Amino acid sequence: MSEDRNLQLPPQSATCLEVLDHLAAGKCSAEQLLTSYLDYLETTGRELGAAVEVFRESALDAARESDARRKNGDRVGLLEGIPFTAKMNISTIEGTTDASSSILEGFKSGADATVVSRLKNQGAILAGKSNCDEFAMGASNETSVHGVVKNPWSHDRVPGGSSGGAAALAGSHGWAFHLGSDTGGSIRQPAAFCGATGLKPTWGRVSRRGLIAFGSSLDQIGPLARDAADVRRVLEVIEGADELDATSVACERDTAESVASDPVRRIGLVSEGLSEGVDEDIRERIRESAKRLGSAGYEVVEVSLQTLARANACYQVIATAEASSNLARYDGVHIGQRVPAENLDQLYCGSRSSGFGEEVRRRILLGTFVLSSGYIDAYYGRAQQVRAEIRQEILTVLEDVDALMMPVSPFAPFCIGERVSDPLALYACDILTVTANLAGVPAIAVPCGSDETGLPMGMQWMGRHGEDQRLLQLAESWQSLDDSWRKLPTGVK
Amino acid sequence: MAKIADGGEVMNWITVVGLEIHAQMATQTKMFCACRREAGAEANLHICPVCVGWPGALPVLQSEAVRCAIRAALCLGCEIQELSRFDRKNYFYPDLPKGYQISQFYKPYALGGGIPFIRDDQSAATLPLVRIHMEEDAGKSSHESDGTSRIDLNRCSSPLLEIVTEPMMMSSTEAASCVRSVRNLLRWVDVCDGDMEKGNLRCDVNVSVMPEGAKEYGTRTELKNLNSFVSIERSIVVESARQIELLAAGGTIRQETRLWDQDKEITESMRGKEDSPDYRYFPEPDLPAISISNAEIQTQRESLPEMPEVRELRWLEEYKFQEREIVPLMARRANGDFLESMVSEGVAPTDASNWFRGEILRYLNERSEKIESFPVSTKSMARLILATKEDLFSVGRAKSLLQEALEAESSLDHLIDQAGSQVQDEGELAGWVDQVLSENPEAVTKIQAGDEKPMGFLMGQVMRLSSGQAHPRKVQELIKDRLAN
Repeated sequence: MSEDRNLQLPPQSATCLEVLDHLAAGKCSAEQLLTSYLDYLETTGRELGAAVEVFRESALDAARESDARRKNGDRVGLLEGIPFTAKMNISTIEGTTDASSSILEGFKSGADATVVSRLKNQGAILAGKSNCDEFAMGASNETSVHGVVKNPWSHDRVPGGSSGGAAALAGSHGWAFHLGSDTGGSIRQPAAFCGATGLKPTWGRVSRRGLIAFGSSLDQIGPLARDAADVRRVLEVIEGADELDATSVACERDTAESVASDPVRRIGLVSEGLSEGVDEDIRERIRESAKRLGSAGYEVVEVSLQTLARANACYQVIATAEASSNLARYDGVHIGQRVPAENLDQLYCGSRSSGFGEEVRRRILLGTFVLSSGYIDAYYGRAQQVRAEIRQEILTVLEDVDALMMPVSPFAPFCIGERVSDPLALYACDILTVTANLAGVPAIAVPCGSDETGLPMGMQWMGRHGEDQRLLQLAESWQSLDDSWRKLPTGVK
Repeated sequence: MAKIADGGEVMNWITVVGLEIHAQMATQTKMFCACRREAGAEANLHICPVCVGWPGALPVLQSEAVRCAIRAALCLGCEIQELSRFDRKNYFYPDLPKGYQISQFYKPYALGGGIPFIRDDQSAATLPLVRIHMEEDAGKSSHESDGTSRIDLNRCSSPLLEIVTEPMMMSSTEAASCVRSVRNLLRWVDVCDGDMEKGNLRCDVNVSVMPEGAKEYGTRTELKNLNSFVSIERSIVVESARQIELLAAGGTIRQETRLWDQDKEITESMRGKEDSPDYRYFPEPDLPAISISNAEIQTQRESLPEMPEVRELRWLEEYKFQEREIVPLMARRANGDFLESMVSEGVAPTDASNWFRGEILRYLNERSEKIESFPVSTKSMARLILATKEDLFSVGRAKSLLQEALEAESSLDHLIDQAGSQVQDEGELAGWVDQVLSENPEAVTKIQAGDEKPMGFLMGQVMRLSSGQAHPRKVQELIKDRLAN
């Protein structure tokens, strides 16, 4: 190609918005950008275990079409020519959507999730599928049928989970964004572990149609990217009511313009989020960050979230209860690998026992138990009450402050294999993230530096229902004070 | 519990019945997707990602099902709840692809209300309802002799209503009468086709017995597999007799589900209370709460047809119909609608009733058809009846015209046009009559002597002479007139 002489790819850490400018300025073509990004997915992406599938042909076709649109002066989308990946539990026409489970081995959804088709309509290019924990159940990306994912900052560490693949990709390379899903922290915790920015939107703001359900009342699709501005752009494309998801809503009043004149002013530092159970250096980093925000003009006050201590128990009951029902459809009759059997009971038991991994089976059994006659009131019923209390407390506390600030994870990325055989130790990863899912409010994880071993650290803000843009505005403002989000792990090419 | 009377004294037992009626709503589409709801279609023709539980697909409540459910609740006098909710009923079965049924358990959309019915002594009574809730149907499994099982998901996610009554002391015939009453009402407001034999109306019956005068109801059993009015009636007789015999012998009743065997006329234990499935109901997170506004209820109320009791009263008072003639006209709302349509075309109600119960019903009964498939429009029927009133032709002639139209499947309007163009001009008719009379003196003599028999012969001659153009009644009058002078 004649343009090859002028080929100038953006720097590896460049954000999607920077790449959009780069493409618009004609410094490189979408095809050139994508070719290089696909190479990255095929090499580093695969080496990290983060990229499960790479759609070279269809993505390059899409890139050439994108270049043609730019050349012909046709309508250009909000993410024209930007590559993205979808988590293995988000339906795409391309490739498989197996939720990293052997029970769905080779499963082809046949349709794009609403979020995926909205992104494609705005010129974004689906480059591949990212690894995750089986049915998004896990906090370390160690339960996937596609194998573990390595943390790009330290290959013996976990990337977090369940959107571990998406976070590892977002944490190690710019240019692109990655769709994850968050049921109890599955976007935010891996984002924090990998040095990426990840948003769990308000429940209902983004259509769940096409997402393989885990805990429907908690599940939310959201973006992982380099910075808040990229996340904002993706949110603006994927959000809004969808007639195929009855729980989706339009949040038309919360826009970038509306929050510009009414930004976050008062931030509540959650004291329970800085308790004993949280690593000392993380607590310190959050306090320091709060001080920096204070110096930048924000009013930071300490607030108490008394329900925080009960949130994880409540979450485990509700998430597993819903999961036990959502995963009933993988029965070997209609959907899911069928194990040959003599009778129906054997068919169910054989197919489900061999198709689901240990953690998924554990959660199905737990969820079935908490809904069972004689136990439902003590477990599921009680958890619903606690959930209502959590929601109420969040609403009340957020009357006084515009956002709540906490760490994302109580500890740094741990070693692969360290917690995988101890479910309670793994469930402890979720203590600071599940509150946002239970309350349905938006929450964002942003990098706030690194610990003494060089591993990224993250902090989290929660906002009021439907005020995702206000949170993003705060995150952008933070990212103009602190450039740790810009850093990429060394040795990653 | 029942005590057994001492000294072999005969004790009177009372049967208490509660009903759970499942009615398929007669909607165009399914409950949570836009697939067509159609019985008898090729297997798995009407399915989509939503109704087969495809991973990632989400249910979206179709407003048609809600409108239909509101109409059912209105005609049964229920209190429609402003806010209700769906729950998941979890169980594994091959024709249930999601592994759960979307139903309403904790917060049904309609509470209270009642089923009007007629007691055996002809007094009017009401069986109170506990609730009505909406739920989706499952698919259908069929098992073949070679051991193959086939699953048809066409019915999957079709909308159902479950109508749950309070228990009430009643006889088996009264119980059947309650179900019939529900069926008639649901049909009346177009909510359900109401054919038990086709399975679009199903019923489970709870039966218990207690000695006369007892304060508390006995332990109940639930009867399933009742797919006709006969099975409802007979199963209650048989089951209450079984319970009485057991109690009278000093036994106790086990709370259980029993299956009715229509051929053997027995009930058989299916499962005890302790084996009943645990459905693990919990709120359906994929669907928001259902909010039914007063405005929506009002819209549905206004769109309801005239209810049967109102129509009946109006017919008795305004149309002066007899009680007995009302029965066939009220059997289906469409019958009365057809009649009303003829009336609105100008036919007198009595004539409309006579024609409907006579010619029309005979035709339908002979063919086991419904009025909807009657090939003649109400407009044409009205023209025919009015023509007899205007003396264009006789009632007898009109009936044979209708018969001809129905048998030859020819246009009644065309036949009316032909018949109506019969010559009525006195001069022309007189010409034909006089000619016939003069050619047939013997007949004339006979008639003049008091023998009316040759009248028909003379009529026939005139009709032949006029090539069927002469107006028969006028001809008859003319002949009589001539012979009298």
